Amino acid sequence: MKIAGRPKTGPRLRPQYPIDSVENHVEYILVASFDIDRGSIMEHQYPGAISGDETMLAELMLPDQAHARSQDWTIFFLHKDTTAEDEEKEARRERRRKRRRRKEGLDDDDDEETLAEDDELDDDDDEYTDEESEEELDSDGPPLVYVLNLVNTKRDSTVKRGAIVKAMAICTRHPFLHIYKPLLLLAIEEYFRAPVLDTLASLYDALNAMDLSLLPRMSPLETFVLQATDAKDMFIEKFHQMIRQRMIDDAERNSLPSVTSSVSDPKSKKYIPPRDTHEFESKVNYNGIPVPIKVPTALSVETVGDFSLIKLIQIFSTPHTTQPQPFALHPHLTTSGAFTHPIIVLVNALLTQKRIIFIGHERPSGEVAEAVLAACALASGGLLRGFVRHAFPYTDLSKVDDLLKVPGFIAGVTNPAFSYKPEWWDLLCDLPTGRMKISNRIEGAPVTDGLTFFQQQGIPVNGAGAQMGSDSKGGVDPTGDSQFMESLLQSIANRHGENAIRAKWRSWILKFTRIAAAFEETVYGASALYIGSHETDAGGYGVTGHGFVWPDETSRTKELAANVHRVEGWRSTRSYYSFVQDLARRWDKRPVRGIDFHHQHDRLRCLKLTHDQSAAIYLAFARAVEEAGSPLSSTSSSDVDLSTVDPERRPSEQLRYATILQLLCVIPESNSGLFYLSLGLFHPRQDVRIAVVHLLERIQMHSAGRHFWDTLGGFSKTAFVRIQRDEAGSRR
Amino acid sequence: MGASISKMMNKIFGSKEMRLLMLGLDAAGKTTILYKLKLDQDVTTIPTVGFNVETVTYKNTKFNVWDVGGQDKIRPLWRHYFSGMLGRHDTVPGRVGSRTQGLIFVVDSSDASRIEEARTELARIIQDREMKDALLLVFANKQDLPGAMRPQEVSDKLQLEKIAKDHVWKVEPSCATTGEGIFEGLAWLSNNVKMPTGSK
Repeated sequence: MKIAGRPKTGPRLRPQYPIDSVENHVEYILVASFDIDRGSIMEHQYPGAISGDETMLAELMLPDQAHARSQDWTIFFLHKDTTAEDEEKEARRERRRKRRRRKEGLDDDDDEETLAEDDELDDDDDEYTDEESEEELDSDGPPLVYVLNLVNTKRDSTVKRGAIVKAMAICTRHPFLHIYKPLLLLAIEEYFRAPVLDTLASLYDALNAMDLSLLPRMSPLETFVLQATDAKDMFIEKFHQMIRQRMIDDAERNSLPSVTSSVSDPKSKKYIPPRDTHEFESKVNYNGIPVPIKVPTALSVETVGDFSLIKLIQIFSTPHTTQPQPFALHPHLTTSGAFTHPIIVLVNALLTQKRIIFIGHERPSGEVAEAVLAACALASGGLLRGFVRHAFPYTDLSKVDDLLKVPGFIAGVTNPAFSYKPEWWDLLCDLPTGRMKISNRIEGAPVTDGLTFFQQQGIPVNGAGAQMGSDSKGGVDPTGDSQFMESLLQSIANRHGENAIRAKWRSWILKFTRIAAAFEETVYGASALYIGSHETDAGGYGVTGHGFVWPDETSRTKELAANVHRVEGWRSTRSYYSFVQDLARRWDKRPVRGIDFHHQHDRLRCLKLTHDQSAAIYLAFARAVEEAGSPLSSTSSSDVDLSTVDPERRPSEQLRYATILQLLCVIPESNSGLFYLSLGLFHPRQDVRIAVVHLLERIQMHSAGRHFWDTLGGFSKTAFVRIQRDEAGSRR
Repeated sequence: MGASISKMMNKIFGSKEMRLLMLGLDAAGKTTILYKLKLDQDVTTIPTVGFNVETVTYKNTKFNVWDVGGQDKIRPLWRHYFSGMLGRHDTVPGRVGSRTQGLIFVVDSSDASRIEEARTELARIIQDREMKDALLLVFANKQDLPGAMRPQEVSDKLQLEKIAKDHVWKVEPSCATTGEGIFEGLAWLSNNVKMPTGSK
């Protein structure tokens, strides 16, 4: 089948990690050891000394009780101060920005290359720079340095005091640092054999020689669609195109063989597309051993390392299920009373920026680090940011003074000393027992406008105090969280897998942000969480409305009231502010703005609509996709406005491709896929049925949409074919 | 419920709980003492990275013993272990009951060259406000080694009369590998601890 909707002759695809990028996969290799006279010391650093406090680093690399186990993995982050190297990068970005402004409107590659050559100081990676990389820039400061650390304790009777404790660490800016584990295992063994700087150098060189240049860059919409699907060949076209591009480049670079020379040139390499497009396979040649590596293709924000949400949820669910214990009440945290599910308490604490400590006495430090990373992903849902930047996956007593300066953190520790200091934390999560504890020293929740708003109307506000505490085990569940947790645990029990659980959490977080938007509009009259509602509500496509959909006013008020505390608690946090910024940036790039696909799809899904109401929605969907790709067919005046106002949204194949992606993002498998759209095939009005057929045809031809089509039921497909045939017949 | 019964039993049988912090220069024998107490066997230890903590019950007293690494770079961390942290979860900091009740300071009696260093460190800890009221037990360890200083000598060199004048203290000769002196030391702590008034 020919894949349309994706211009074949479109711009050259760009790799996520260009081969000639100045940014290395790995920035530093470090080795620390425990000196029997002095304690933790840094032994070697390659390629140079990393800035910052060496002793502090060495202490992190040798976690508490490293002497008690032969091996331990740790993860920690470095907030690297701006160094000369970073300043140089910043200057480069600035030059790039200037140049982009200069050539505003000019877009072809040749031109860019010419300009690049003009600029002597320019860097090689420039060719690949586009707006997306700007977008990825974290507005909160330089990117974090992630450190994967392996500590080994070897008993050795020949040395004084009988043991050698050494740790080796890889410092990288890639969040998928766990892929380096096998290499670190090999390299630390090598270092015990040859404790010299060269051992670090050879690891450094091997890691940075890893070739990821055939891994195509994805747009944010594509990234989400890829994450949300299980299809192993989603966007395989992009990988094929990368290979084609490379083969052309190779052919140009290679010497010209005479026509008679052998066809199978030994120099021409074979490139194989991935078996599963979620992962990109490469290898690292270390000490003559080719180590296979799999790099995740589509990364969510706030996903660092490998962790399991399922594991985290189970640790704290099991004791709660078998022997529930009441929490001390706090409006932000115990949103369903004293017996609020611990995972909900945790996510509430994360959203309202509390100080959270995961403690695992006598557990490997890797275990607490994993819990911290999982917690960050839990609260982010791939949508919210700012957790990882304030996470300390492993820390110890020596850093406590610095830790306490951070307002709201997520830290992992193994030292039980932390549990005796309730003034150091708001929520303590004990991994060995699976229990959480709210500190008696936690700051109370202030009275807010939102709270008074609902109280004045006499609407009971959730989690406000003791009156909720007692009956919470009964039937009432105004937040819906108890029900959500039950279905989540059911999913886990049915072995739906990590991906399904992450998708469910994403939908929980998404729902929370949408409720928060509705809350702000209700209480404050407008919301920073839904900018551009004036455009959406203009009715350009014949439908209006935006945001979350409730079946009726009562349930809306009830749900908003139930969320007062945590929404208000969230509204002053870092994750709230960066989300508002992200939304503004996303809104700028949104392919279609005159309709809220999510809102309209929700209406189809949850409301009892009249035939005319549903007809309007189906027609609006079909028109949005149709008009994104071709100049206007209809004559509505508002359409003309929209397209003239915004040059970025001029109809094109590219815009239609993006518009369909925008629609697909609303309907991942976890939100029923094409099901509700396909119901339009059975609409009483013929024009609607035909419009839906055209819409589905577009989706069918879309490189991502075709996978959605594939999972559609046979009944709908039959109807689709019948309508298609009838229409063709009537035209003849 | 269970907790209150055991509290009652404690009252009847006089069982008590004591929080102890064990410090000393590196290689003094702290970890060996800890595991001699815990397991009653001689374990070969390697340097402690961070800390060890064990609960030991001896003669109706539950000792919660913290053994913290002794290398000089780690010593500044010691304060975290005695500044009110050894209390129960819900104790109000500053209350007597939340403080460390006993400090065990371990000295390598065979190493006269480092006794000066040991004195400096001990003086720093024992004079800390948070250590007020704590009992001080000094183990003059490694008595089995030739030339080991005797308790009197250790006490003089450490200038206990001066630096620990506000504390109840004792120097106990010990040999961690055989267990000599270790349990005697614990018994002394147990007999001298004043249970904080009003404690449950």
